[in-house]
Amino acid sequence: MAKITRRSFVGIMAASTTALSMPSIAFGALPRVVVIGGGAGGATAAKYIAKDSKGAVDVTLVEASKRYYTCFFSNLYLGDFRNYGSIGHNYYGLAVNHGVNMVHEWASSVNSAEKKVYLGSGATVSYDKLVISPGIDLKFNSVNGYSPEAQSIMPHAWKSGTQVQLLKNQVKGMKKGGTFVMVPPPNPYRCPPGPYERISMIAHQFKKTNPTAKIVVLDPKNKFSKQSLFMEGWQKHYPGMIEWISADTHGGIKKINTSTMEFETDLDTFKADAASVIPAQQAGRIAMNAGVNKGDWCPIVPASMQSQADENIYVLGDASIAKSMPKSGFSANSQAKVAANHIRGSLTGSKVFTPRFANTCWSLVATNDGIKVGANYDAKPDKINKTSGFISKTGEDSNLRKATYEESIGWYSGITSDMFS
Amino acid sequence: MKSKFVFFSIIILLLFSNKILADDKALAGADFEYGQHLSGECVTCHNSTGLGQGIPKITGMKTAVFIKKILAYKTKEKDNAVMQMVADRLGEEEINSLALYLSKTK
Ligand SMILES: Cc1cc2nc3c(=O)[nH]c(=O)nc-3n(C[C@H](O)[C@H](O)[C@H](O)COP(=O)(O)OP(=O)(O)OC[C@H]3O[C@@H](n4cnc5c(N)ncnc54)[C@H](O)[C@@H]3O)c2cc1C
Ligand code: HEC
Repeated sequence: MAKITRRSFVGIMAASTTALSMPSIAFGALPRVVVIGGGAGGATAAKYIAKDSKGAVDVTLVEASKRYYTCFFSNLYLGDFRNYGSIGHNYYGLAVNHGVNMVHEWASSVNSAEKKVYLGSGATVSYDKLVISPGIDLKFNSVNGYSPEAQSIMPHAWKSGTQVQLLKNQVKGMKKGGTFVMVPPPNPYRCPPGPYERISMIAHQFKKTNPTAKIVVLDPKNKFSKQSLFMEGWQKHYPGMIEWISADTHGGIKKINTSTMEFETDLDTFKADAASVIPAQQAGRIAMNAGVNKGDWCPIVPASMQSQADENIYVLGDASIAKSMPKSGFSANSQAKVAANHIRGSLTGSKVFTPRFANTCWSLVATNDGIKVGANYDAKPDKINKTSGFISKTGEDSNLRKATYEESIGWYSGITSDMFS
Repeated sequence: MKSKFVFFSIIILLLFSNKILADDKALAGADFEYGQHLSGECVTCHNSTGLGQGIPKITGMKTAVFIKKILAYKTKEKDNAVMQMVADRLGEEEINSLALYLSKTK
C-alpha cells in the first residue's frame, strides 16, 4: 500500500467528498453500509464491499448469532458425511481481514425514511445503503396442526442451528423397522433439491443402522427438483425403503397430530415413529418490517438487487424474488457480488460492471453418488433471466458421480472461505 | 550527473513500455480491475488455498496456461459440466482480464 503523506491524504479526502456529494454526511465521515444477516448473501456482501473499497466505506454487519451453521451440507451431517463442527463458521475473518464492524444483535426494525436500523438492545445504526439478507421465516400454520411447539417433535431443520441435531437424534433413535414421515414444503422455498437430498441421507443412515425402516414422503407438490435423478438413486441404493406420494395421490394433508404422530390425508392416515415437517416459507421478518416485501417475498431490480420499493435498500438471497434463480446459498453469494459492486459504485464512484449471476446445486444421493444442476443468468429489466444451464443425467457412470461429489466438497470449502475469510 | 540519470530513466521507461506493449498484444482488452471483479464468480468454487478437494487452485497460473485451459472447456474439448458453463459465457476480453488478474494473484 502506498504511504499516505499529509499532502496526498488531504488530496484523497478532497477528491472523495466531491465525488460523493452527500450533504447528510459530515466532512470526513465515510459512507455507511449496514448489512442485516450474516448468511450466504449478507456475509458475502459485507466482505466484498469492505474488501474492494479498501477502507472507503464503513461496513457494519448485524447478525444475531456468533456462529453461522450452514444449511448447506447439513444433510451430509444427517448422513454422517460431515460432523456438526465442520459446518459452523465464525465472523473473525470478516472483522480482522476486512475491517467489517460486527454487531451480534437482532435487528428489530428499520426506519427507511430516517435510514436507521434499530437493534434489540435499543441502539440504532444509521446507513446510506442497507442490505437485507435475513433468509427465511417459516409459516408454521401452513400445515394444519404444525406449530412452533411442534418443531421439537417433528423438526423442520430448515434454518441453521440445533434443529438439525435434534432431527439426527430422532432419526438415529427411531425404533427398528419403524416409519419416518417427511413433509416437504410447497413452492417457492429455499433449496429446491434440499428435502430430497435429506430423504436420501436419512435413507443412507437407516440402511446402515435400521435397514427395515421405511420412509413415507407426503409431498404437497406433484413434482420436484432433479426428480428422475433422485428416484433412480433411491431405487438403486435404497430399494423398497422410500415411498414418495404426490399431492394428487394423497389429495392433500388435512391435519397432523403431534401427540399421536398421525398424518391425515384423503388417501389414508399415516402413522409415524419419527417425522420431519417443513412448512411453507416467507422472507425473514425484518424485510416485512422494512416494507420491502410484496406478499411473502421481496421484489428487486434485477440489475442491482435493489428493492423495488426503496433504492437505498438491497435485498439478497432467499428473501428476494430473483426469478429464475432458485433460493440457494450459491445464488445468494452470486447476488451479493452484484449488489456489492453496485453499492460501491454509487457510494465511491467505482466502476459498475454488467451484472452476471450463476448457481449450481449439488446433492448427495448415496456414498460417492453426487448429482448437480446449474445455470448462468443475466439481468433483464423484469427478471433475472436464465441464459444456459446443465443437469446431471440418469445412468451416469460411477466415476462421474464420484467426481461430482468431490466437486461439492471443493465448493463447500470455496464458498465458506469466500463468505468468511 | 543529472543528464546521465535522465538518460538512464528513459532507457528503463522504454524497456518497460515495450514489455507492456508485448503483454497488451497477447492479452487484448485485458483489464486488471475487470479480471478481479470477474474472479468473484470463480472463488465461490475455487478457493485460494486450492485445498478444497475436487476443485483445483487457479491463482498464480501463467496467462498462456490459463487461456489454454479455459478454451479447452469453452470448446468442450474438456468435459466438465460446470466449467463448460462457466467458460461458455466468457468472451476474449473476459478471459484475458481473468488471465491477467489470476496470473498476478497468489
Ligand atoms: C437442508 C438444506 C440444504 C441446503 N443445501 C444447499 C446447497 O447444497 N447449496 C446451496 O447453494 N444452498 C443450499 N441450501 C440453501 C441455503 O442455505 C440458503 O439458500 C442460503 O443460506 C440463503 O442465504 P441468505 O443470505 O438468504 O440467508 P441465510 O444464509 O439464512 O442467512 C440469514 C442470516 O440472517 C440472520 N438474521 C435474520 N434476521 C435477522 C435480524 N433481524 N437481525 C439479525 N440477524 C438476522 C440469521 O441469523 C442468519 O444468519 C440448503 C438449505 C437447506 C435448508
Ligand atoms: C461451480 C463451480 C465452479 C466455478 C464457479 C468455477 N469453476 Fe473452474 N473448475 C471447477 C471444477 C469442478 C474444475 C475441475 C474440472 C475438471 O475436472 O476438469 C474446474 C477447473 C478449472 C480450471 C482448470 C484448472 C486446472 O488446473 O486444470 C480453470 C483454469 C478454471 N476452472 C477456471 C475458472 C474460472 C476462471 C472461473 C470463474 C470465471 C471458474 N473456474 C469458476 C469448478 C468451478
